[in-house]
Amino acid sequence: MEAVFGNFDVYLAGFGLTIGLAVVSGVLSLLLGLLLAAARVGPVPVLARAAGLYVTLFRNTPLLVVFIFIAIALPRIGITFQSIEVIAVGDYNVSAFFVRAVVALTLYTSAFVCEAIRSGINAVPVGQAEAARAIGLDFGQVMRLVVLPQAARAVVPPMASVFIALTKNTSIAAAFGIAEAAATMRRFTNDNADQRVEIFLLVALGYIVIVEAIAFSSYALERRWKVAR
Amino acid sequence: MRTTRIKVAAAAAGIALLAAGCGNAGSDEGETRDVEAVEDAQFDEGTRMAELNEAGEITIGVKYDQPGIGFKGAGDEDPVGFDPEIGKIIAANLGIDPENINWVETISDNREPFLQENEVDLVIASYSITDERREVVGQAGPYYVTGQQLLVPSDSDIADVADVEGEEVCSVTGSTSLDNARAEGAEPRGFDTYSECVDQVLDGTVAAMTTDGAILLGYAAEQPEALKVVGEPFSEERYGIGYSQDYPELCQFINDTLEQSFEDGSWEEAFDITLGESGDDAPEPPALDECAA
Amino acid sequence: MTAEAAHESGQIQAGRGEPLVVLDGVDKWYGSLHVLQDINLTITRGEVVVVIGPSGSGKSTLCRTINRLETIGQGSITLDGQPLPAEGKALANLRAEVGMVFQSFNLFAHKTILENVTLGPIRVRKQSKDDAEKLAMSLLERVGIAHQAQKYPAQLSGGQQQRVAIARALAMEPKVMLFDEPTSALDPEMIKEVLDVMVDLAQRGMTMVVVTHEMGFARTAADRVVFMADGAIAEENTPEEFFTNPRTERAQDFLGKILKH
Repeated sequence: MEAVFGNFDVYLAGFGLTIGLAVVSGVLSLLLGLLLAAARVGPVPVLARAAGLYVTLFRNTPLLVVFIFIAIALPRIGITFQSIEVIAVGDYNVSAFFVRAVVALTLYTSAFVCEAIRSGINAVPVGQAEAARAIGLDFGQVMRLVVLPQAARAVVPPMASVFIALTKNTSIAAAFGIAEAAATMRRFTNDNADQRVEIFLLVALGYIVIVEAIAFSSYALERRWKVAR
Repeated sequence: MRTTRIKVAAAAAGIALLAAGCGNAGSDEGETRDVEAVEDAQFDEGTRMAELNEAGEITIGVKYDQPGIGFKGAGDEDPVGFDPEIGKIIAANLGIDPENINWVETISDNREPFLQENEVDLVIASYSITDERREVVGQAGPYYVTGQQLLVPSDSDIADVADVEGEEVCSVTGSTSLDNARAEGAEPRGFDTYSECVDQVLDGTVAAMTTDGAILLGYAAEQPEALKVVGEPFSEERYGIGYSQDYPELCQFINDTLEQSFEDGSWEEAFDITLGESGDDAPEPPALDECAA
Repeated sequence: MTAEAAHESGQIQAGRGEPLVVLDGVDKWYGSLHVLQDINLTITRGEVVVVIGPSGSGKSTLCRTINRLETIGQGSITLDGQPLPAEGKALANLRAEVGMVFQSFNLFAHKTILENVTLGPIRVRKQSKDDAEKLAMSLLERVGIAHQAQKYPAQLSGGQQQRVAIARALAMEPKVMLFDEPTSALDPEMIKEVLDVMVDLAQRGMTMVVVTHEMGFARTAADRVVFMADGAIAEENTPEEFFTNPRTERAQDFLGKILKH
């Protein structure tokens, strides 16, 4: 136990990075996924096909492979994201490694976000969109004012699953230069071989807390939108 | 009446060439020694040594991704390096031929669990002796002492550990080397394997890679144009041989075997054809820790 | 017609008789299925055209092509002299000029009755919320739903929902109203309340295209009946002529089937 509690700041810093990765990648995945979903159901065939291709590509590729591509292959052709390091958030410079992890996680997760949103859109009867078009709303307004608000409730449960998966997927960044929770666990176990089980349990507990927070928010949102009906 | 007959394989280089000629995808730098088992090894009834001798085979965990120490290329049959050589010496003294050694890859994370669950009989895998590890497993030796250094691009200005402050330095995630780099003020960047870390150095995404000098020399030897090892060692890593605490009698046996290999020159030969390849002479053999009574 | 109604519909009445919607040689295929075959149809300003025919005859598809909810394969459709735009903002603008009432009402489920009616005027016509609500309340008054303005669609009966849907379309002050089987999904006792609203609308001079099986409405309100079969217009005539003296065998057969009971 003291391996963790004696270095609790390190433990917290690790989970801080885990949460940071999950939140930044989560927000970006949501935005990109929304655009992809709009493209997929939208009226422009080229965009629909491109978005479909994107989803096929990134949903079927293991996240580890995406990470390796971003972190190992791209630098080979000169894309290192190091120019990003001039950006500072408070006293901290944004590191290229953080950006790479965010890029990998976002590329991967947005494909799942897109599909979750698309399933929610498909759950909205097609007549809703037709009626919206019939009163002269353009495609963006149809989505924004009529379809997505109704899709939102259907989207919450699958979206929560996507974000829970994302939270756990951030652990892959441990092997790509980010000292997040999983990397911190490996550091602790390396230094304290005698306390492996305790360290493992405490790190698992950290993940459970984050995941439960997401699940709880999802239930709360579902309930609230049910009442609003 | 123990005899260890050792033949240095003069044909080793030839075999390697042959392998390359066959289009083998394996490494071509691995030189190995021929080691033959002691024929009439005698052990006290009920000891682990007697059991292993009786079984005629042994399972040893080594690294597969550290050139010079323990490395196995994609097409290689057995791992090569200083650690496997030490493993062969120990097996020979148990009356086991090299071909009856089951090599298993151990990574930094699974060395203790593998020993505790008897998945492997011994771990010889650049396995630094620490007090915490000795709480859960046995560690005999040390059979080699090295220290943490830096691997940098040939044109790098970094000359010593003092230069890495504020720089990004990579190593294997969760390793002691990464902790030490952090203590020196560097920004630690963990990767799964040393080779991925070397890639980061070559790409210029990190300023340096740090771990035991022995491992770094192996990589520098692979690409002498692009990479160099710099700085005085800023830590002391004492490589030990891991065994299960279920069999404390292994400690004295391992130490005796190591002592013997120090004296009869087999330890030095093992060094010369592996870590010594990068140009270093074999150091003085280290002093062994006493086994607990 | 009351004086007030006459005043309201004055603008529509003006120019009565000019062509408003013109379909010229329209063809449409679903794969190899030829669902619309060489449709030529002109609807003049203020005219009420009822489209009838057996199911699968293409009458709903025809109705939906007029505001391009269905695309066409060949031919042209013009509204007030302008060809239908293919996509984008221009198409949205055109649709704002064409009111549409669906078989399944399609009220926006997440919005109140009032919001359903004000959405278009606010978002498309850029009216202020106050003006839009004033207009919406007067329309809801007209269809008899004003007291339910704050409810959600699911809280209303089918007949009430369909009347709201008509008010929602009227709020855009359309040049023409399309009705795609507006009473087919309703329980019998609710059909009349919807038809009454439609008859009232016809009397006020609204140009209407109505796909329906309600022969009573056709007799009462229609200026012309278009009979479709197998994707083509088989016959068109005044209601009086059509119902008493159908010329084609298909029409005779169809009328025989639906009027015998």
